[in-house]
Amino acid sequence: MSHFALKEPPRREDRLNACIAHGATLGEVAGRRQRCCLPASERSFTQNSICLLLPALGTMNSIPNSVVLMHGGLGCGSSCHGGNAAVRGGNMQRWGVVKDGTWLSTGLTEADVISGGEPKLAEAIVEADRRYRPAVIFVVSSCVPGIIGDDVDGVVEQTQPEVKAKLLPVHCEGFKTKIWATAYDAVYHAIGRTLLPETKAEIAPGKPGKTVNLMNMSSMGRVDELELERLLKALGLAVNIFPVFADPAGMQRMAEADLSISTCPTHDDYMLNHLKEKYQVPFILKHMPIGIDNTGKWLQDVAGFFGLGPEAKELIAQEEAELAAALKPLKPMFAGKKAFSSAGEFRALSTALLLAELGFEVVGIRAFHHDEFAEVEYEKLVRLTGQEYPLNIANCQPFEEANLLRKIQPDIFLGHMNGNSTAAKLGIPTHVIYNTGLHYVGYRGAYELARRLYRQLKNPRFNANLSRYTSLPYQESWYRQNPFKYIVTAGGDSE
Amino acid sequence: MSDYNFIERPRYTCALGGAIAAVSALPKAVPILHAPPGCAGNFAWTQAGGAGLQVGGYCGGLSIPGSNIQEREVVFGGAERLAEEVRHTLELMRGDLYVILTSCVTEVIGDDIGSVVRPLQEQSVPIFFAETGGFRGNSYQGYDLVLQSLFKDFVVKTGKKQPRSVNLWGITPFIDVFWRGNIENIRRLLEKLELTVNSFFTVDDSVDGIRAAGGAALNIVVSEVFGLGAARLAQEVHDTPYLSTPLPVGPAATNEFLRQVGEALDLDPALVEEVIQYENKRYYSLLEPLADCFNDLDLQRYAVIIGDTNYAVALTRFLGDDLGWLPEVVGITDILDEEQQASITGRLSKLDSGLSPNLIFHTDGSAIAAAVREHWAGSQSQAGKYANPLNPSFVIGSALDRELARELGAGHLSVSFPVANRAVIGRGYTGYNGGLTLIEDLISTIIAGR
Repeated sequence: MSHFALKEPPRREDRLNACIAHGATLGEVAGRRQRCCLPASERSFTQNSICLLLPALGTMNSIPNSVVLMHGGLGCGSSCHGGNAAVRGGNMQRWGVVKDGTWLSTGLTEADVISGGEPKLAEAIVEADRRYRPAVIFVVSSCVPGIIGDDVDGVVEQTQPEVKAKLLPVHCEGFKTKIWATAYDAVYHAIGRTLLPETKAEIAPGKPGKTVNLMNMSSMGRVDELELERLLKALGLAVNIFPVFADPAGMQRMAEADLSISTCPTHDDYMLNHLKEKYQVPFILKHMPIGIDNTGKWLQDVAGFFGLGPEAKELIAQEEAELAAALKPLKPMFAGKKAFSSAGEFRALSTALLLAELGFEVVGIRAFHHDEFAEVEYEKLVRLTGQEYPLNIANCQPFEEANLLRKIQPDIFLGHMNGNSTAAKLGIPTHVIYNTGLHYVGYRGAYELARRLYRQLKNPRFNANLSRYTSLPYQESWYRQNPFKYIVTAGGDSE
Repeated sequence: MSDYNFIERPRYTCALGGAIAAVSALPKAVPILHAPPGCAGNFAWTQAGGAGLQVGGYCGGLSIPGSNIQEREVVFGGAERLAEEVRHTLELMRGDLYVILTSCVTEVIGDDIGSVVRPLQEQSVPIFFAETGGFRGNSYQGYDLVLQSLFKDFVVKTGKKQPRSVNLWGITPFIDVFWRGNIENIRRLLEKLELTVNSFFTVDDSVDGIRAAGGAALNIVVSEVFGLGAARLAQEVHDTPYLSTPLPVGPAATNEFLRQVGEALDLDPALVEEVIQYENKRYYSLLEPLADCFNDLDLQRYAVIIGDTNYAVALTRFLGDDLGWLPEVVGITDILDEEQQASITGRLSKLDSGLSPNLIFHTDGSAIAAAVREHWAGSQSQAGKYANPLNPSFVIGSALDRELARELGAGHLSVSFPVANRAVIGRGYTGYNGGLTLIEDLISTIIAGR
């Protein structure tokens, strides 16, 4: 049975054997298939991270004519205040109008916890439909309804006939998974069940040209989309971008395309498999177009599908030559400098590849989780950078990072948004690896990242000064310990 | 059951968020969350977008240790996992104070936190816990719950009161985005009254000072809503009386505030009046050079004020009674009971300036915006080609009120949470100096295009 027939998608721990706790060298991990860390591996000391609700909100808040109705405690969803800048910027860049995301909270109280939140949710849905007249309402379930047993899907089913908006239940109970990439499945699941056509037959035939789905699950800003559109259009392809900032009324076009292309294999397999099985839309889920060689590979794969190999080869050669000339004056700054990369698995790995291409020595990598999709990236890295440096699978866990950074002393640290203060307080020049206002992707992204790193390295005084008078909250003795001391491997060594 | 079906874009987070804010602002404190993995990350992102770019501190954001509980703990209980987490936290993390905070999930499953904490307290580990499940209320309640636990389980009981020592609270770290400056401005004024001030959350406070907070002669709460639970508890447990006042912004409110403190502590009235006179002279001497341009540029405005109780009351009074603006509509976004609403209504209906702004209590900013639009529309009296609309105008609220300001053609300044579009470090609006800072910020916004 298709996962999409179920009310909620499975956890990635179960579906993909994804895991979050491991420490070794890159060489020890590469090529070991799924045995890098075991799904049940754990830490006996953990710092906090995020839950699947947060990345899910990043996509949902971007959808035009939508309202996100959080069913949960008052605080679930307040991360939207942080995500709103991207929503405003994204709306402005696409339509020239600044617009905030609209999100609501049922704000469950102690009394609701005792008596159940279903009646309140039903009334909230009806009232939200009347007040905002949205095309869709995402009805998002957080921990509290999950634990008190509210039947969110049942409420949605009962309320749907009363409202004009399409209701999309989305399951984001934070205590049910540690792999927050399950968020992407949760959002795709809701879109797939509600906004896509019942059958392929409903799709009107005879569309002109070759159309691709370019999938963006909020990991790219508009500037990055434009770079990929530029390259795909140069091959004569028409591009539709899903699901961020995509009109809900147009989501069915996902099922009409000639090909779906993932920009981050961590994000998209759940939906792309569904589009293939149900609507016979083939897909490519390989490589992230971050890094020079990676961008070329990504393009070649797409071009190959349409029989445009020679055209792509020519385009890539031209782009690479132009980029190489532009990078030449910047590269002396990077030669031999030690770089550390930390982010979501694919992002961390492909950025490390780019760093190596720019002339940095890659000395450490941390990835939020591990699953099978990234194996090919590990192999590329081993070939390009060697393998005798640490790889840490960690859903944040800055204490391990602090330990590693003190030991390795890199010249530059690239970390995910909200994950850079540890390196900064250690005085290490630091750059953000994900920020939807900045370029990262394609040839333009490689150049812009190089430009920014050049700036960071030219004057690293901000963090250097900070480190002299601030301290991290760890005992001095911690830095003498094995950074992976608190990782408990389930069932002993996997070897 | 609560009286709302939903709250639009709540201008606060939950009790746990407020508690994380409070604990991460205590000197060298390490919060320990007994929660699923996302709560701290959620709050870090909330801060990044709402607290004037201030995130974390010594141990905040994703550095906060936590039990990261999952379904296994939900089914079998999470106390054991918490005990392990606390043990390793003490081994690995350096703190002068450790505070365990509970969440929605761990309270529903009923984990016994006391059994984890008590043995450690007996070994003199500086640790306590607060039950701050998100469903217990919004961030202001979370702040209050942390203070309550502090006075119940950490502050040392003493029969000896220091006559000139006071505790100061009522300003919520991070949720009042200008908390640092706001606390410091008041602290400095109280020190001018020759008082020793224990304010808990500033960089000048210490855990030793906090431990000794039971010796204060008075607890001063500069809020009529936030932190009153802790004030009542401290009265019960430590026998310390308390004074609750509006947040003092600008000379009129600060004059009154200092007199109230003087009376409550039985200070020499001459000393109090001397400070007040000096500060008012100083305030107006500093303001004097602005008077030319203020008048020449016609900088009086009709005002819309939207915010939490502290700010809505304080800003309305400042704009009306000190700056001579015209507050027309005041929207208060807190969750308040009828009694609280009545008391605030009473306060805003007796302004010295004689103005009586239209007052709206609503948790949804868009409901307040609708009332503002209606009020503005009602003012469009037509007499041929002459009209007297409420223009020029200014919206002083949060970043969420920018759309309303744009519609009205009004100036806009984000002061109350969320403040997404300003960077805040030590700026504060309380006291005499804070009033001047607020004037700078308001007018700088108006004249930015000059």
